[in-house]
Amino acid sequence: MARIELQQLVKRYGEVEAVRAVDLDVPDGEITVLVGPSGCGKTTTLRLIAGLEHATGGTIRIGERDVTALEPKHRDLAMVFQNYALYPHMSVRDNIAFGLQARKTPAAEIKRRVEHAAELLNVAQLLDRKPGALSGGQQQRVAIGRAIVREPAAFLFDEPLSNLDAKLRVSMRTEILRLQRELGATIVHVTHDQEEAMTLAHQVVVMHDGRIEQVGTPADLYRRPATERVARFIGSPEMNVLDAAEAGALGLSGDGAARVGVRPEHLRPASDVRDDRVAGRFTAHVEMIELLGANAIVTLRAGERALTSLVDSRLLPELREGEQAPFAVEQGTVVRFDGDGRTIAG
Amino acid sequence: MMTSARRLLIALACLLVAFPYAWVVLSSFKTGDDLNEPSKVVFEPTLDNWSEIADGGVFQSAWTSLLVAAVTVGISLVVGTLGAYAISRFRTGGAATRFGILLSQLMPPAVLVVPLFLVAFDLNLRDTVIAVIASHLTFVLPVVTWFLIGFFDAVPKAYEEQAMVDGHGRFGAFRRVVLPQVRGGLVAAGIFAFVLSWNDLFYALILAGGNTTTLPVQIASYNTFRGVELGAMSAAILVSVVPVLIVSFFVQRRLVRGLSGGGLKS
Repeated sequence: MARIELQQLVKRYGEVEAVRAVDLDVPDGEITVLVGPSGCGKTTTLRLIAGLEHATGGTIRIGERDVTALEPKHRDLAMVFQNYALYPHMSVRDNIAFGLQARKTPAAEIKRRVEHAAELLNVAQLLDRKPGALSGGQQQRVAIGRAIVREPAAFLFDEPLSNLDAKLRVSMRTEILRLQRELGATIVHVTHDQEEAMTLAHQVVVMHDGRIEQVGTPADLYRRPATERVARFIGSPEMNVLDAAEAGALGLSGDGAARVGVRPEHLRPASDVRDDRVAGRFTAHVEMIELLGANAIVTLRAGERALTSLVDSRLLPELREGEQAPFAVEQGTVVRFDGDGRTIAG
Repeated sequence: MMTSARRLLIALACLLVAFPYAWVVLSSFKTGDDLNEPSKVVFEPTLDNWSEIADGGVFQSAWTSLLVAAVTVGISLVVGTLGAYAISRFRTGGAATRFGILLSQLMPPAVLVVPLFLVAFDLNLRDTVIAVIASHLTFVLPVVTWFLIGFFDAVPKAYEEQAMVDGHGRFGAFRRVVLPQVRGGLVAAGIFAFVLSWNDLFYALILAGGNTTTLPVQIASYNTFRGVELGAMSAAILVSVVPVLIVSFFVQRRLVRGLSGGGLKS
């Protein structure tokens, strides 16, 4: 396994700059997740690392080697594509063995590694089938199996979970984590799903418009978002962002900030916030209650402003759709942004 | 269940298609006198027409046609495959090539035949299979290329990208991962190309009408100054038609097989 280093990486398509001067350090043996809305440059960055796109500028290093000008086959990486790209004309066994055969690995070694990977991913009984005869989850496992037999310097995952149904996605996520711990693999994982990013990553890279918005641990991004964009993107439901006047109406002091962010989980029924911990208190109209289980998403209206609150289900008897109720914001949880959308420290 | 009306309709359609074939088959076994009575169905069959065409070089012409068609198919498939892949993946020549490649089909063969004749004459290739093959490539190759573009379009790029990350170059990925997936298309295109070349009369007649006759030219030659030798012509037509029929049968099956399949989730 190896670390990957991007320096001032640029990719231009004609006039369009898809990746703008990206600097990134992908640590050895960790999962780095590139996340952002579609068109933010995350997939292009991954494809640049793979060598499937040529960099317009900057350098890419894998381990000690500068691979910027190398063909994909010389970069010693393994990739799992969104649609798995299992070769339909080959059996599962041949699919998994494909990369090893391409690199002229001895047959006995191929057999050993394929069987080991199949064992690890629980697809041993499927080895003689064609990909068309597998379910989505099984195809996904085979695609990952094909990547791990190669024992590459690093793995590149391009939204590999996005074609799975919600339940399978969660279990595959756990599986990826387990494999990563077992193999000590360096993984660069691309997704548009912030929850996937938060649960998988050692390091999350939030991208926007071809630039890196923030790099940090999931906890960092949640607690100390660098910009309003990151604050809105990370966390679910999305953060409530209010302008100074709206914040004032809720009893929150902006301290000169242009906008103020309050996460739904920090905006709760007043009875759920200790009096000495209240930063702002107001009465709101309860518009809608969506029960998730342990929590409920409550949509409020305070004046003209719609707000989202995440409420402990046990407090739901206090609330009724269409009625007024007292709400409070907990102290020390408010995030302040300046006029350019950057977080104001402190 | 099929309704009887539908059965009747299908039977009628089959009859309509089969009728000319039956006619030709019967004619090939008729004597000259019997041929003068086209409606005569019961007659004493003769092999005279068949021995006449055997002596008249029809089988030699069939061999020439086969040679011409086989080489035309081979060249068209190799060049067409590479061309179609380039047009599909790299937009070689832009949209104009992708859709304009078939425009060559609009050109009447008569426009091309004089220049081809002159070139063949200059190169001392007149009356050789090489001249005929070259002329056939002018209309077979664009069709094969156009036909294959769609098949390459249908193979997602992710396959070859996967193969390239896994350790192959562009050509290795093409050969091992892309080509096997368009096999159905290649077979169909090959058969299609074969039929086009096999059936051509015009170029073959003008570029090589002397010693190197192809089968259609041979068939036409039974239209003599003494009149049409219907019996021999019918036998020769059968020699020409049967391979095409067999081949067409495979086209259907292969076409369906080629167009279905694919194991990609998207």
